[in-house]
Amino acid sequence: MRRGSLIQLAAIAVVAAAVCTVVALWVPWLPDPAGKEAQRIDFVYWFTTVIAIAVFSVVAAVIVFSIWKFRARPDDDSDGPPIHGHTALEIVWTAIPAVLVTAISIVSAVVLAQNSNAGSDPVHISVLARQFAWQFTYSNGKSYGYLEVPLGRKTQLDITSTDVIHSFWVPQLSQKQDAVPGQHNKIVITPIRTGTFPVICTELCGLGHSLMRSHVNIVSQADFAKFLKGSATTGPPGLAVFQQNGCGGCHTLKAAGSTGTTGPDLDKLKQYAAQANRGTLAAFIKESIVNPGAYVQPGYQNVMPTIFGTQIPADKLNQLVQYLAQNAK
Amino acid sequence: MTTSAAPAHIEHDHLPAPPPSGIRRLTAPGWLRVLWVTPLFFGIGLGLPVLFRWLAHWDPLWKGSVLTTVELVTTPLGFLIGLGGFDYWAHYASGRPTRPEDHSGHGARSWRDYFRVNTDHKVIGIQYVVTTIIFFCIGGLFAMLFRAELARPGDQFFNPQTFNVLVSDHAALMIFLFVIPAFAGLGNFVIPLMIGAADMAFPRLNALSFWLLPVAGTMLVAGMAAPGGGPSAGWTCYAPLCSHQPLGQVFFNMGVQWAGASSIMTALNFLVTIITMRAPGMTFWRMPLLVWANFTTSLLVVIATPFIAGSQFFVLFDRVLHTNFFEYQNGGYVLGYQHIFWFYSHPAVYIMMLPGFGIISEVISVMSRKPIFGYRLMALSLMAILVLGFSVWAHHMFVAGMAGWLRVPMMVTSMVIAVPTGIKIFSWLATMWDGRLHFTTPMLFALGFLSMFVIGGLSGIYLASVPIDIHASDTYFIVAHIHYVLFGGSVFTIFAGIYYWFPKMTGRMYDERLGKLHFWLTFIGFNLTFFPMHYIGLQGMPRRVANYAPRFADINLFISIASFGLGASTLVFLYNMVRSWRWGEQAASNPWRALTLEWQVSSPPPIFNFDEIPQVVGNPYEYGVPGARHAIFGAPAPEPVGAD
Repeated sequence: MRRGSLIQLAAIAVVAAAVCTVVALWVPWLPDPAGKEAQRIDFVYWFTTVIAIAVFSVVAAVIVFSIWKFRARPDDDSDGPPIHGHTALEIVWTAIPAVLVTAISIVSAVVLAQNSNAGSDPVHISVLARQFAWQFTYSNGKSYGYLEVPLGRKTQLDITSTDVIHSFWVPQLSQKQDAVPGQHNKIVITPIRTGTFPVICTELCGLGHSLMRSHVNIVSQADFAKFLKGSATTGPPGLAVFQQNGCGGCHTLKAAGSTGTTGPDLDKLKQYAAQANRGTLAAFIKESIVNPGAYVQPGYQNVMPTIFGTQIPADKLNQLVQYLAQNAK
Repeated sequence: MTTSAAPAHIEHDHLPAPPPSGIRRLTAPGWLRVLWVTPLFFGIGLGLPVLFRWLAHWDPLWKGSVLTTVELVTTPLGFLIGLGGFDYWAHYASGRPTRPEDHSGHGARSWRDYFRVNTDHKVIGIQYVVTTIIFFCIGGLFAMLFRAELARPGDQFFNPQTFNVLVSDHAALMIFLFVIPAFAGLGNFVIPLMIGAADMAFPRLNALSFWLLPVAGTMLVAGMAAPGGGPSAGWTCYAPLCSHQPLGQVFFNMGVQWAGASSIMTALNFLVTIITMRAPGMTFWRMPLLVWANFTTSLLVVIATPFIAGSQFFVLFDRVLHTNFFEYQNGGYVLGYQHIFWFYSHPAVYIMMLPGFGIISEVISVMSRKPIFGYRLMALSLMAILVLGFSVWAHHMFVAGMAGWLRVPMMVTSMVIAVPTGIKIFSWLATMWDGRLHFTTPMLFALGFLSMFVIGGLSGIYLASVPIDIHASDTYFIVAHIHYVLFGGSVFTIFAGIYYWFPKMTGRMYDERLGKLHFWLTFIGFNLTFFPMHYIGLQGMPRRVANYAPRFADINLFISIASFGLGASTLVFLYNMVRSWRWGEQAASNPWRALTLEWQVSSPPPIFNFDEIPQVVGNPYEYGVPGARHAIFGAPAPEPVGAD
């Protein structure tokens, strides 16, 4: 190979690398991390990106250079030089990728070990997934349809499911874990900034999969302590049933402080009952919980699980119906 | 080098028997027999379960899932029997005189010959390729439909059930009815020619394995019309979700079985053909890399495909027989499904890639007028991918909650696969270096493949790293990655192969200008469609959702419009193929000046491939070597193993 073509090749590679770098830096590829684990994952991502840009630039440069320099004229029937191989070159391009992927593997393994370390005293929160809602249970035994975690403390989530496989993901926290029925999977998160972020189900779990959303509030440790002591469930017994079953994950109900929008707005139950015209308000509410497909409010999809009728004991169900009827406007 | 047509006496001796007349038309193999045997077997499939349930006093007498399962076995069987797929073996097994293979089943004299059980590997190859392109178009249309739904957030055209069916069937058709069998079709046509054989080792098995394909494809599409809705659990069909889906899921479970059976039979055929039917002098180290690639692929298929059959049977049994393989309430092991499924479906990625590697090796060497750089290392790296391919399945399960210790070893093996893959990429680049590059359509697709597959391979490195995979798993980043690998990889190589062998298969040249137009539209449409998906995935858009956050609205609209352009580019391809096949100019026997054996016979090849047995004397890629020959014809040669 002539020296001139080597310089030209290198110049193309540098241009390609520059273009790739601009694309890598200019586009905000990753969400702004809200947890230590996400920061570490970001580091692995950028480490890999540097290597990927280098490899891609070399390949792109050779392709571009070949297209530019080795194009045959239409009437050119000659053959190229019969080069069958080059042992040293082949060893080099076996060894270099091997070294690069080893480096990525080591960095990844270290980060994985750090991200899986729950420390000595994590906050424990149980996560229960079901079609199509999340339920978060805290150390005080109370359950909510959304996740509340303290800033700067390691929190261990114990994730399971009651029906099919779901997957818990907060993009800003990066950690993801499938919720598998019959199995308790654990992940650790360490929030570094306060705010509210989406909780997304990422494993296809049925008709309501794209609606299976909740949110996580990252709050100061003082606020979290207040939350744990909070009076949320000291209200009527129906409120406890509402919260334990994660109703707020999909439904808005001002009295319970929930803001879900997947299912109908429960503040408007009286209006819906009139529209549906299926007996008394209480009968309508009960039917809608036990057999949600019997009447579907226009504008919403028939995706509510049918399990609540069997899952909630009869007395609790009556408390819930009563509670909803009282708060309906 | 050879005459363009087979000598007249051979043609005369092997004319098909005169068509039967009278009542015999109904009992002779063919579509008339299909018309009454298929309903007969449909009736048997209906009657048997009902009879057994009646005898056993089971209630209800008619049970949808049971009837459907039995029907999906008996009805296709009736169709295949009617068409004549089992005639020879039925005669043999019942002690009646068998019709010895007189090669009357060879060749296609009219379009009707493509619609019967034909034992000619060249006819079967074309049957395969045309059928798979039809399913490619159907699968592509499904993608257009759900991209229309995704153009805006919220509900546009489809309810979630229909959306999930479209997504599941798009993937299932593209994988099981397009990419895998399209490679099998190209291999079918080319491999016997490349190794100097008259046909495949088992021509009747070959015909049968083709006819299983329309059966499987029809089943997957027909499932959409099943009461309750079509298969909607994704192509991965994870238990326990898919055990409790509407009836259409049974069509999916069974359709995969028929497609899998077809794959296994073809792979066995390839293996035996390649091992036993090579022309004299064709040692393993003189085989073209396409043959090497199909050899390793066939090993993968034979070892891995039974696992997906098992996973789908387990799910079906959970549903129909009330077993508890994956029903956790009764002690089933939910993650067991994923382990079994991915033990097939990761090697399946290589099943969908290695034959493409073979095609690219042929195209790049011929179009660069240079020998393949590092031929032996190229073949060995195929074998390395084969072995490593079986040790990486659990990288699909990093977030699934499997045994924690498995993650790092699976990451390391997944990373290591980059090494043999890198060897192949660099060797192709070195093959082009200092060559005389001819930018024909197959070469453009080969270059498109090289650049796109590098991107797909690099995003694969991201996903092999456990921490990044934890963030990116089940998002649109995955969708982007698999399309860079399976579209930028497999589909580009299939197009390269179709254009490259089109003159050989049809005897006519395709339109080069339309071919190039097709390439550029596909290449640009492909990148505009799939590259932005990396971004929305990492930012937080999960896959397989009919609804998404409003902040992704504009970019999804962009992707949808680009995908319609990508879909439209296929029209150029179809027009070019149909027009050139009918009216294209006559192709020379060797338009690319290639050395491999398939180009040393006429276009299309004579009915028995070689009038004289080739004697292989050298390597297949000796471009630029003065006086080098791959094979000589007319040399005294021993009788090769025949096609019988």
